[in-house]
Amino acid sequence: MKLNIDGLLVYFPYEYIYPEQYLYMLELKRSIDAKGHCALEMPSGTGKTISLLSLIMAYMRAYPLHITKLIYCSRTVPELEKVVEELRYLVNYYEKETGEYPNILGLALSSRKNLCINPQVTQDHEGRTIDGRCHELTVSFVRQRHKTDPSIPICRFYEDFDALGREIPLPAGVYGLDDLKDYGTKKGWCPYFLARYALSHANIVVYSYYYLLDPKIAEMVSKELSKTSVVVFDEAHNIDNVCIESMSVKMTRKTLDKCSQNIDRLDKHIQRIKEHDAEQLKEEYHRLVEGLRDANVARETDVVLANPVVPDEILQEAVPGNIRTAEHFLGFMKRFVEYLKTRLRVHHMVSESPPSFLKDCFQKVCIERKPLRFCAERLRSLLRTLQLTDIQDMSALTLVSNFATLVSTYAKGFVLIIEPFDDRTPTISNPILYLSCMDASIAIKPVFDRFQTVVITSGTLSPLDMYPKILDFRPVTMASFTMTLARTCLCPMIVSKGNDQVAMTSKFETREDVAVIRNYGNLLVDMSAVVPDGIACFFTSYIYMETIVASWYEQGIIDQIQKHKLLFIETQDAAETSLALLNYQKACENGRGAVLLSVARGKVSEGIDFDHHFGRAVIMFGVPYVYTQSRILKARLEYLRDNYQIRENDFLTFDAMRHAAQCVGRVLRGKTDYGIMVFADKRFARADKRNKIPRWIQEHLTDNLCNLSIDEAVQVGKRFLRLMAQPFSRDDQLGHSLLTLEQLQSEEMQKKLASKMQYV
Amino acid sequence: MSKLSEEVLLIVNHVRQKKTDGTLYLMGERLAWMVQSKNTFSISHMYADIKAQKISPDSKDKVQLQIVMHDGSANTFHFNCSGGRSAQIRDRDSVKELLQQLLPKFKKKISSALEEKNRLLQENPELFQLYKDLVVSGVISPDEFWLSHTHRFTSGNKSTEGQVVGVSPAFLADIKPQTDGCNGLKYNLTADIIESIFKTYPMVRKKHAEYVPHEMTESEFWTRFFQSHYFHRDRTILGTKDIFTDCAKNDEKEMKDEIEKRISDPLLDLTRCADNSVDEGYRGINEDSRRSSNTTNQSIIRRFNHHSTMVLRACEAKSKPAADSSKSEESNGVTVLSNGQHSLPNGVVASTSKNDIKEPPQKKARIKEKLELEDLCTLKNEKVVNLRLGRIERYLHGPTPATISKYTTSEKVIEANQLVAEEIHKWVPDLSQVLLCGNAIGVLGELSPGGALMQGTTNQQLHQMVPQAVQDEVRQQYNALCELLRHFWSCFPVASKFLEEKVVKMRSTLEKFQLAKLNPLKDKLGQNHYHINLTGHMEDMLIAAYNKFDAWKAKKMTKR
Repeated sequence: MKLNIDGLLVYFPYEYIYPEQYLYMLELKRSIDAKGHCALEMPSGTGKTISLLSLIMAYMRAYPLHITKLIYCSRTVPELEKVVEELRYLVNYYEKETGEYPNILGLALSSRKNLCINPQVTQDHEGRTIDGRCHELTVSFVRQRHKTDPSIPICRFYEDFDALGREIPLPAGVYGLDDLKDYGTKKGWCPYFLARYALSHANIVVYSYYYLLDPKIAEMVSKELSKTSVVVFDEAHNIDNVCIESMSVKMTRKTLDKCSQNIDRLDKHIQRIKEHDAEQLKEEYHRLVEGLRDANVARETDVVLANPVVPDEILQEAVPGNIRTAEHFLGFMKRFVEYLKTRLRVHHMVSESPPSFLKDCFQKVCIERKPLRFCAERLRSLLRTLQLTDIQDMSALTLVSNFATLVSTYAKGFVLIIEPFDDRTPTISNPILYLSCMDASIAIKPVFDRFQTVVITSGTLSPLDMYPKILDFRPVTMASFTMTLARTCLCPMIVSKGNDQVAMTSKFETREDVAVIRNYGNLLVDMSAVVPDGIACFFTSYIYMETIVASWYEQGIIDQIQKHKLLFIETQDAAETSLALLNYQKACENGRGAVLLSVARGKVSEGIDFDHHFGRAVIMFGVPYVYTQSRILKARLEYLRDNYQIRENDFLTFDAMRHAAQCVGRVLRGKTDYGIMVFADKRFARADKRNKIPRWIQEHLTDNLCNLSIDEAVQVGKRFLRLMAQPFSRDDQLGHSLLTLEQLQSEEMQKKLASKMQYV
Repeated sequence: MSKLSEEVLLIVNHVRQKKTDGTLYLMGERLAWMVQSKNTFSISHMYADIKAQKISPDSKDKVQLQIVMHDGSANTFHFNCSGGRSAQIRDRDSVKELLQQLLPKFKKKISSALEEKNRLLQENPELFQLYKDLVVSGVISPDEFWLSHTHRFTSGNKSTEGQVVGVSPAFLADIKPQTDGCNGLKYNLTADIIESIFKTYPMVRKKHAEYVPHEMTESEFWTRFFQSHYFHRDRTILGTKDIFTDCAKNDEKEMKDEIEKRISDPLLDLTRCADNSVDEGYRGINEDSRRSSNTTNQSIIRRFNHHSTMVLRACEAKSKPAADSSKSEESNGVTVLSNGQHSLPNGVVASTSKNDIKEPPQKKARIKEKLELEDLCTLKNEKVVNLRLGRIERYLHGPTPATISKYTTSEKVIEANQLVAEEIHKWVPDLSQVLLCGNAIGVLGELSPGGALMQGTTNQQLHQMVPQAVQDEVRQQYNALCELLRHFWSCFPVASKFLEEKVVKMRSTLEKFQLAKLNPLKDKLGQNHYHINLTGHMEDMLIAAYNKFDAWKAKKMTKR
């Protein structure tokens, strides 16, 4: 249908529309008009992606100068592919309606692992080795050598692309990962570099967070994207953690040992080169003296990882004298690595700020801050000069040099932690050095500064006001949309006690209590007897789940569960879990029904949907607080308190509740779907937790559902399921939770919609 | 009585029955006992008739085995061999174990047959009524009744064959251990549970075949099983002594293989989910890196996953062969195209026959399916299978004959058309055998309601005249009589002695029926003063049958 969104003609590829989709587009339009950022929460399964794409596409067509590009960031590969498919659907609709294929180039980009078509390279499934192999075949000096010595292997796909691919732009259309591969195979061009090249002139780009947030990758890939772009971070409830990860480094003693080996190897290499061809090194030196930061002009294939700090912080000056020659630089690194090794030899936990680390470093080994800042770039320049092919071997040294640059660049917002051993095994020495970013805004700041509109959106983004705080930005609009429902197809409830009135909670003091564990078990047994098909359960941590499963086994609860359903359990191995999931779905599919035990914050809770019969109920056992004893977390909490006035408890609760909401939200993926959501912890009923549940769930969590015993919960669930089993047709929805164009345009509906909005 | 051809499985001497010494024989289908001095079996029981066996407790000094029949009677055998108590017990146990294996086979047959009959009767009220009228009232014997209904019986049987009975995931939990008072546990295994175990864990079945009875007895095997990790999930695998050790290893290997196969569903593969190929050193800062160190707990979890997977597979196993065969056909699809003489002569290959390497279309379909907001679309478009035509023209025109056919020119076609048109124009119907219009209308009038010929028909009224209860009763009796008459008439021609007997019996049965059922009915109807004879037809039928019988008898007499 053709919609009029605040004066903009929007092609929406369906005959009907949900009211919240209309509102969502309205809000989005306003923030794009204002050239500002926004945070929007809309329940999962209400067609968020298609609303986003429809509106921005319409905007791009109407005002091609105002917005030139849409950068759509999502978290996982399947999600990227979903977005591409939605886009394809939309573009096809445009073609049908307007009679011509819109001149739009949509493109997905992923790592080489998902795009490479060179059979020699893809033999390995490991992403890093594929990157390494690709580098070996495509780096510029290898190609140079190949010209004189054809026996040196190169990648013919890249060669063909380099020869022809740049002249012929990718024809308009929507290219997912597989489409790119097909196109690449047809033309004989490398899909990865083709996609990276096409990025600059594509209208819609779909890729993962890291391509924009991690400076090491963003510098390489997303440097030339125009400022008049709209950036969308979908599933953004976890975005602060991605930001932090992008800027953090972790080292073990093994890393440092490997690093020493790397330095030795480079040393030998330099000696050898000196004997044969000293010119090369001299030339590099002269260039560095001349003030060029990079000795060579890097080509796209040469860079593996760019500078780890955000562009604003990179010094625009020449490399300091004491690390200009190759030997000096290696000596410098050797000293630095030795220093790090001594630091790792501690017997107690150390937590310090970067300035104090630098001071100590200067006192002990006389290494100043300035040359450290150049480490990453200097190493890159050296590696290129030495023409080493197997860059992947040098990963340890690269890591240390990145660490050096990071620690010397940022005085604030980072913390350095050295843990000499694992908390639970204090006798085994396993020192780890963390340089952890504590301020999520550092990594995302360039994005907010550079692009005119950044949209932060997710199904669960409550409480909304927390995000602008931790990401440090000023949104022009923030809105939370609820789901208009013709029938209440979700049934949230808080189960706070067992039938024996023992409080149900995963509080640290009582979580090992037999009564609590048994009550959790009874809840699951009773639910599995009532609920058809699939039940997904989430625990607060893997270790907790393991102990519970073990004691359930002893108490015979597992046997009782098995009487009703098959049981599958997430493990810490991803492949094993995938298999369990597959069988779980099979069991739901063939009618036996199954229970999946899984972990909040785990891979399942973040990436797998339990739509329709794959999840008729979800049970959240306990409040999924993050592991609070972690030193990194403690440092971050302190930092947030001091700099952003966020109280520790507020942040912890916020973090726990967003994960709980995320887990629970997995069960409902649309208005025709239905599911029970059980929060099994009495603490959920407290106001500070309950208020942080997303509005679309909170709305249905009435007071009478907040303090149930197991029996009561089962009764409520039974009644709900009986209701849901009644036939439900479109006519029931129409005019209320589903609108035709006429209904949408009617005046009273417009009024009703206007009153529905809740601004934060 | 003694059939020599029968297979004798076990002979036990010195078995007393009612204080008489004798020999116990266990044969292929029955159990028999012979008095020492005689040559014929004085006791013989089909296994199917045996309900259960009981053995005397160890505390009793006599070593006995009791056979309980379905009809409630029982026979007790006393093992009395001279080798002392242990030898007696050994004898007894050998009989017991053999019986244990044999009885379930026969029991299943009988109980399933009974169940089937019961089901049939319950599902079919008419049949049930018939059964009540004929069998319960003693008109014919149940065997005879079922004999004539075997067709239903077998057809019903066939339909149940298609569905495989699954395995309950909690079958191991159903085995409730009981303490035997002195530091021991007793597990009761039923045939069903054993079947479940075998179905779920094919390795155990293999082991069972390997070890029982060559190396250990049945009970020893199961004792070991209950000690193994299969039953105690939290037990780590002990030394190599345990026969199930390599089972565990095999299971683990199986799981590993399965994992390595990689999952084809892109939405489920967590290993391919994440999109970053940066060094580990840069990631995982926020993740809860605490790993559990409790290996028993880990193995419990793994075993639960394995168990559920195996249970799931147990019910798939039966349906798999079908799928496999279709798969092999698919892979043939490619060759079909080239030689063109298979079930798909047109060279049509459905797009499902694409091989597994090309997953994208499947993947795309899967993603699309996930994305679709079905309530927003107008019409649910039907799912269609794409046709991929090897040769389009063959599909459009069908197989063309090898010889070149002569094409007719358009003039010829037009000419033929004209000819047909002319023929039709000239056609005059030949109506020599037809009534005149007036007569036809007259007859029609007579036959319409109210016409002269429609006077006697009281069909409509009869319906209303006779109350429902009477109607039902008459119908019932009619059905029963028909059934009996069917039996009666099926005896002709009387070719064998058996049929002869039957026909005589049927004749008396019919008489019995007339006396016991029909006449009372007639009297009852008479009391109601219906002016129509409702039982007339039944009587006619009976008379016809009697006449037939008399004629047959007379003929037989003259023959003699």
